[in-house]
Amino acid sequence: MNKHDKLAAVMAPVSTANGLPNEHYIDPSVFQEEKHAVLFANWAGIGFGKDVPEPGYAKPVEFLGMPLVMVRDTTGELGVFQNTCRHRGMILVEKPGKIRGAIRCPYHSWCYGLDGRLVSTPHVGGPGQNKHDDIRLDELGLVRIRSYVWRDVVFVNIGGGAPDFEEVHAGLLQRWTEFDQPLHSGGAASGFKLEVKTNWKLAVENYCESYHLPWVHPGLNSYSRLEDHYNIEEPGQYSGQGTLVYRQLQGDGGAVFPDFGGLSSQWDEGGEYVAIYPNVLLGVQRDHAFAIVLEPVDCEHTVEHIELYYAKTSAETPELEDLRNENAKLWQTVFEEDVFVVEGMQRGRHGMLFDGGRFSPAMDGPTHCFHHWVASQLDKARTAETA
Amino acid sequence: MTRDELEKALLAAHASGTGRDLSRLYTLAGDQAEGAGRIDAACFYLTQAFVYALECGLPEAAELNRRLADKGRAHLLDW
Repeated sequence: MNKHDKLAAVMAPVSTANGLPNEHYIDPSVFQEEKHAVLFANWAGIGFGKDVPEPGYAKPVEFLGMPLVMVRDTTGELGVFQNTCRHRGMILVEKPGKIRGAIRCPYHSWCYGLDGRLVSTPHVGGPGQNKHDDIRLDELGLVRIRSYVWRDVVFVNIGGGAPDFEEVHAGLLQRWTEFDQPLHSGGAASGFKLEVKTNWKLAVENYCESYHLPWVHPGLNSYSRLEDHYNIEEPGQYSGQGTLVYRQLQGDGGAVFPDFGGLSSQWDEGGEYVAIYPNVLLGVQRDHAFAIVLEPVDCEHTVEHIELYYAKTSAETPELEDLRNENAKLWQTVFEEDVFVVEGMQRGRHGMLFDGGRFSPAMDGPTHCFHHWVASQLDKARTAETA
Repeated sequence: MTRDELEKALLAAHASGTGRDLSRLYTLAGDQAEGAGRIDAACFYLTQAFVYALECGLPEAAELNRRLADKGRAHLLDW
């Protein structure tokens, strides 16, 4: 069976399909292939807008070995650039912080504006001579990476060939149009990260199905039973799960977080949790939301960057600080409960005789939807390569 | 400030990484060289001063850029 045949088995209907074969989780060469065909070719999440909160802020991010820097320019727009000087390839921004004027390369001091324009090339024509006919400033700005910020997640299309974000994700943007309103980070305690020994895809797969909830998150059973959940499957775009019994966290005296404005009654007790392919996991509820960016470190290691968001700023609602902290702890507990399964599935994929597994046709649709999409991306790239 | 004093101050500013001081001291060195008619040296110092001013977002950057551009040593930037 060649690679195409194996992918054909993954792309079969959920009732007969196999999951992605082991090599997609444990083989570094397939990881490299997926890096380009799946993660760079599409809109992948690399970080959060809140990490560059004001004009002039910059944060370097290494994504799958690619040095990037997120920069908020003087107009407040967030841009992403390759964090590499156009002169000798030196890394430009080493640590997060405020750029007061220009980005200066620490090697020969070529300087770039916050919009990526090359603005100074000191001594390029000899000592004290800062221009040269062959060095054109307008040709040597920082390499801009296509980016789009949605729900505070910074998405990038490193390969540059994907259709526009708003086109690719029109379906989800429409589905959650009621939540298209300002989000506010809950502050330092509302962000945390988990380092897990798993391939990034297993974190997606576990997130987007509700089948495991009664076994892995028994604490949810008291009010959020399996039958209160539904599958979300949009082939080629996203998948996940929804709940019909979302219950707000209540603090002392019945305090709750303020709702996002103007939501329809669907969201009174509704919540949805969606994997937006390839590597971003989002959740929306009436009173808070969250975003998880999966950072694939290598074939068998992933960092989950998790941020919680609210309808009102922390400054507007200081009385809710304890509740925000409690909420962050609750979510951290839930996400930590998932660690043993994503790490266990990773170890299980070293079982040489595992065939990718079979899906529950009733319960695993969202997972199969993701597998099908990954296989489609690889198939497309492999076909293009052999054409 | 004597030349020795200026060099010591510059080394100290480099060691502390204080861009504002670096820009000010290199401007002083540039002024001294220009006053002595050593234009190439002046442009070297003024370039150094300009880069640190630019990095730090100091308003002096515009004037330093203009001085260098007037001597044909830099593109005049659109501020």
